[in-house]
Amino acid sequence: MRLRITTLVFLLFVCLDLSFSAQIRSQENGTHTPPPAPGKLTLVAAVMCEKVDEYTPRNPGIVFSVNIGKISCFTSFDPVPEDTFIYHKWFYRDELTTRLKLSLKTPRWSTLSSIQLREADKGPWRVEVTDSDGNTLQTLRFSITD
Amino acid sequence: MTTMDKLFLFFASMRWQDVFDITLNSYILFRLYVLFRGTNVFRVLVGIAFLWFFQRIAVSLGFIVTSWVLQGITAAGAILIIVIFRNEIRSVLQAKNLKGILWGFPLRAGQAPIEIIVDTVYELARRHCGALLIFPGKEDFEDVVQSGIPWRGLISREMLLSIFWQDNPVHDGAAIIQGNRVEEVGVLLPLSQRKDFPSYYGTRHRAAAGLAETTDSLVILTSEERGNVVAARGSFIGVIDRKEELAQILHQHLGTTARETGHAKKERLEIWIAALASILLIGVVWFSFSRGLETLITLEIPIEYMNRDPGVEILDTSIDSVSLQLRGSGPLIKALRPEQVKVRLDLSDASLGLNTFSIGPENVSLPPGIFFKKVEPPVVEVTLDVPIEKVLPVQVDWTGKLPEGIRIVEARLDPAAVHVKGGKRMLENVSTIFTDAVPVEDIRKSDSMTVNLALTPAGLTIAPDSQDKVKVKYVVQGRQ
Repeated sequence: MRLRITTLVFLLFVCLDLSFSAQIRSQENGTHTPPPAPGKLTLVAAVMCEKVDEYTPRNPGIVFSVNIGKISCFTSFDPVPEDTFIYHKWFYRDELTTRLKLSLKTPRWSTLSSIQLREADKGPWRVEVTDSDGNTLQTLRFSITD
Repeated sequence: MTTMDKLFLFFASMRWQDVFDITLNSYILFRLYVLFRGTNVFRVLVGIAFLWFFQRIAVSLGFIVTSWVLQGITAAGAILIIVIFRNEIRSVLQAKNLKGILWGFPLRAGQAPIEIIVDTVYELARRHCGALLIFPGKEDFEDVVQSGIPWRGLISREMLLSIFWQDNPVHDGAAIIQGNRVEEVGVLLPLSQRKDFPSYYGTRHRAAAGLAETTDSLVILTSEERGNVVAARGSFIGVIDRKEELAQILHQHLGTTARETGHAKKERLEIWIAALASILLIGVVWFSFSRGLETLITLEIPIEYMNRDPGVEILDTSIDSVSLQLRGSGPLIKALRPEQVKVRLDLSDASLGLNTFSIGPENVSLPPGIFFKKVEPPVVEVTLDVPIEKVLPVQVDWTGKLPEGIRIVEARLDPAAVHVKGGKRMLENVSTIFTDAVPVEDIRKSDSMTVNLALTPAGLTIAPDSQDKVKVKYVVQGRQ
């Protein structure tokens, strides 16, 4: 029962975070016009950070205290040849805890996903960034500590 | 329940193995008696048996030193009997063929044809042919005599005459007569050192007396010079003038005289008593071992796995050993050693993944007389998997509280990935090898350290070509 409540709370936060990432996307791109972009989808930046301000990840790192309450996985793509989507797969100790589908718009796009931190989240984590076909673009490894 | 009912129940509860066991060992004991009776070996064996018996009594009464001393003497005696009486044992066993050892009775052994021997001896004497005939007693004389040539021919008048014929190369030696055969010829005997012999006694007389003095053999000789027959036994040596007298001496020595029918009957009765005593003794021993007060014992026995597919590994088991409760008679339980008990599981029908086996009496191998009662736990889970190798990235498991104002922004690992070995199904769910917990409290600046790998789940091992440590080079920056 306790696990079920924990999972529901976690999913709620993830939903909130998705809306948050969508907000960043719109701020970055302003009015959305879809001009075709040449080349292939390229991940230019992927970091774990404490927060994202003004499209910039703040305090990126690989060790985060559980006390900061929330961490984010920030990814930036340039170019984005066509509207597509990517996944952020969050693993806690090799176990997939959540998989988030994030939209990308041409010609370039930044997006993020976040999780709220709880005491039980201490330990090694990784986020796999994959394209729409499931190919891993990058793996970010980090730990949540005291 | 009447005594008869109890007796009937007791016999009804005996297995065929028990009957065979008692019969076989009774017969072995009986044969030992038959083969060795009258010998020094037998007397010493009886002595050792008594010592053992007294030692058991001493143990039961709590006489520590007495039982310890008796035990030592008994053990030493068993070894000494083989060393000291090796010749006597060998002569008993060599003198008889396999049938004689397993079945023959001394009474029924080929009886010496006394009439033929007596007639031939007097014929040899009449012809002035020197002859020496040895009729062994119970004692071994192998160390006393020399140079015997095996003959093993059935006794006949012609054969005896030819052996002692003057042109025969072996005629100067003695012939050993056992049963109805001439066993050896050309045997050299020790010479007596007695001073009271008449002057006409030659070497043959001294040889006859020499063997008779040192063993319980009967020696008969014919004098080449005087043409008479002489018998020697113990310290006696004298001329035997009449055939009847010589026949009587031989009958007495060999125990076959017609007048000795009573003695033969007595001997036959003695053998029957020995046979019954053997059965009784072994029966008592069997009863004390198998039907004594029942005792329980609990042993922790490791499980052995059999018939595993060579391409499959046992990845995990719910238990390594089981607690076996066994029952049996006190002496058997006391003598039971854990290595005599086996618990085996047959993996021939096992499949990959988790298998559950029930452990029952069919899985337990026990020595005779020990019986299965209970096993705990009665079920074992065995996980089987196909061993594979996999390359997995290594991740640092940071732990503790970072000092205020700093953050770790990067960590480079050398090697970044390692080869691991483990079950295929197990490795399907493993995509990262973590290090042991690395505390961050004392980290102030960029540096490097070497850390061990934490191999989980159990059963995972590092491949021989990989290291079980990684070097971590980390970069520290200030917080923004």
